[in-house]
Amino acid sequence: MRYTSLIIKTSIKNNIHFKIPLIIYIIITLICVVGITAIFSIISISPEMEKELTDISLLETYLGVIMYSTCTIGVGVNLNAFAFQSITREKTRGNIESLLATPLKAGSIWAAKSIATFIPGLIVGEFLTILVMIVINYIYFIPEIGFIFNPWTAVSTFIIIPLIFLSLSLLSHLVGLTSRAANGNIIVQIFLPVFANVMINLSIHHVLEITSWTFTAINLGIAAVIIIISIFLMRRLTKERIVLSG
Amino acid sequence: MQPVISIKNVKKALGDREVLKDISFTAGKSDIFGYLGPNGAGKTTTIRILLGLLQADSGNVEVLGKNINLSETRRKIGFVLDSDGLYENMTAEDNMAFYTRIYGVSEAEERIGSLLKIVNLDDRARDMVKTYSRGMRQRLALARSMVHDPEVLILDEPTAGVDPSGQIEIRQIMINIARKENKTIFLSSHNLDEVQRICNRIALIDRGKIKLYGELKSLRQGMGKGMVEIKTRQPIPESLELEIKSLPELGLKEKMDEMLIFSPTEGTGVSEIISFLNSRGVKIEEAVKKEASLEELYSTILKEAEPS
Repeated sequence: MRYTSLIIKTSIKNNIHFKIPLIIYIIITLICVVGITAIFSIISISPEMEKELTDISLLETYLGVIMYSTCTIGVGVNLNAFAFQSITREKTRGNIESLLATPLKAGSIWAAKSIATFIPGLIVGEFLTILVMIVINYIYFIPEIGFIFNPWTAVSTFIIIPLIFLSLSLLSHLVGLTSRAANGNIIVQIFLPVFANVMINLSIHHVLEITSWTFTAINLGIAAVIIIISIFLMRRLTKERIVLSG
Repeated sequence: MQPVISIKNVKKALGDREVLKDISFTAGKSDIFGYLGPNGAGKTTTIRILLGLLQADSGNVEVLGKNINLSETRRKIGFVLDSDGLYENMTAEDNMAFYTRIYGVSEAEERIGSLLKIVNLDDRARDMVKTYSRGMRQRLALARSMVHDPEVLILDEPTAGVDPSGQIEIRQIMINIARKENKTIFLSSHNLDEVQRICNRIALIDRGKIKLYGELKSLRQGMGKGMVEIKTRQPIPESLELEIKSLPELGLKEKMDEMLIFSPTEGTGVSEIISFLNSRGVKIEEAVKKEASLEELYSTILKEAEPS
């Protein structure tokens, strides 16, 4: 555990200095979060608030979609931007092989690299989500109907989304370390747009209510599937396989 | 000699290809052991096995008398791999500090400071590694490999891509480590001149087999045995050259103007060659018994090994 936290700290310190991915992450995240929040506020929340009889469950859904999207973008785009540094770059530049030649275990290196790539996104994603939730409540809801907070949306957003992307980080690092490094990045790059589009569209079109426990359970199921795949692939995680796939 | 590194009958296949075919060698304390071979000969695979990154299919690998896969054994080994594995966005100090924590080095700051001084990077200690030249990176990697005061250093081409002055500095550091600190250095290199200058023992691997192994000095003497260079005062006439060639015991290898190089058979000494030449009226200016250079050793062995 001591070694894991040591590698996490070092990797975060190293990753944060990569200016281009950091700038890309900040710009994409801000554009998406501000854009989604503005569009939903103007097109959906504002007209609903002007009605004489406001539908609170509808407002909960709109707020839920904004929060869910914000957290997904905050955590997911970070993983997209930095997984390349963590897997491809470190593998090709010999950082991983050097670590493997020390007394560290392959499992510790894998876990630490996965968590290190995930943590900055978690902090930014959760912070932006809380910020967006408070701002929308203060601008629209508190003056008229009071603070809106749905517990299932909160669980999905603040707990399950990070869990999904932590599992995805573990899976992509596992695949990237034990096969061609780019394979790990491809998983992340495909997953984020597909997952975000499907889940947000399902909730917007009321196929799955974002405020329901079913939505939370489905998200939890996605995390579970990724974790099960990772556990299944873990037996591939040997020093020999990592070195020879480099 | 007490073996510090011991490889016995090691075989390793990667896929269908047998990369190491029953190799054996040992290196002792304070040895600078040169490991030579052409590209694809199996050098990196051997290094990876020595570092526990790959497992041998059969045979025995021990460092300091213990299995290489034990964590306590790995703590006694320092290494520089072909890719230096330095974190570019961190300073030299931070890179070193990271490895001191991995190895649990006490008084890390002092250790880092003294090592950076040894490799002449103390004035650049707080600069990001990405601002370093190739030579500086290699010196830093070398310092990092010694951060936990290992008994054995395994170095994979530490001077590759480094300019000549950088190479000299790195070589001097390696010599000091082995001679003053009694460490064993396992040096894989393509640079024959470098190996000849600093190594006392060598192994030459080609296509997964050890072709030559032992004390460098005795190998050179053995290979150069009887090689005699004779400088004459006047050019040798063609008729005499033909006569010399007809005597296989003299073993004329080369003739260049006034220079004759012989590789006589066993039992034929320098004096016999000289008296033969004198008897034919040849005046000799100089006669030198030659030691084979490592380059000659290398090319002879590899030429012999070439499939016909």
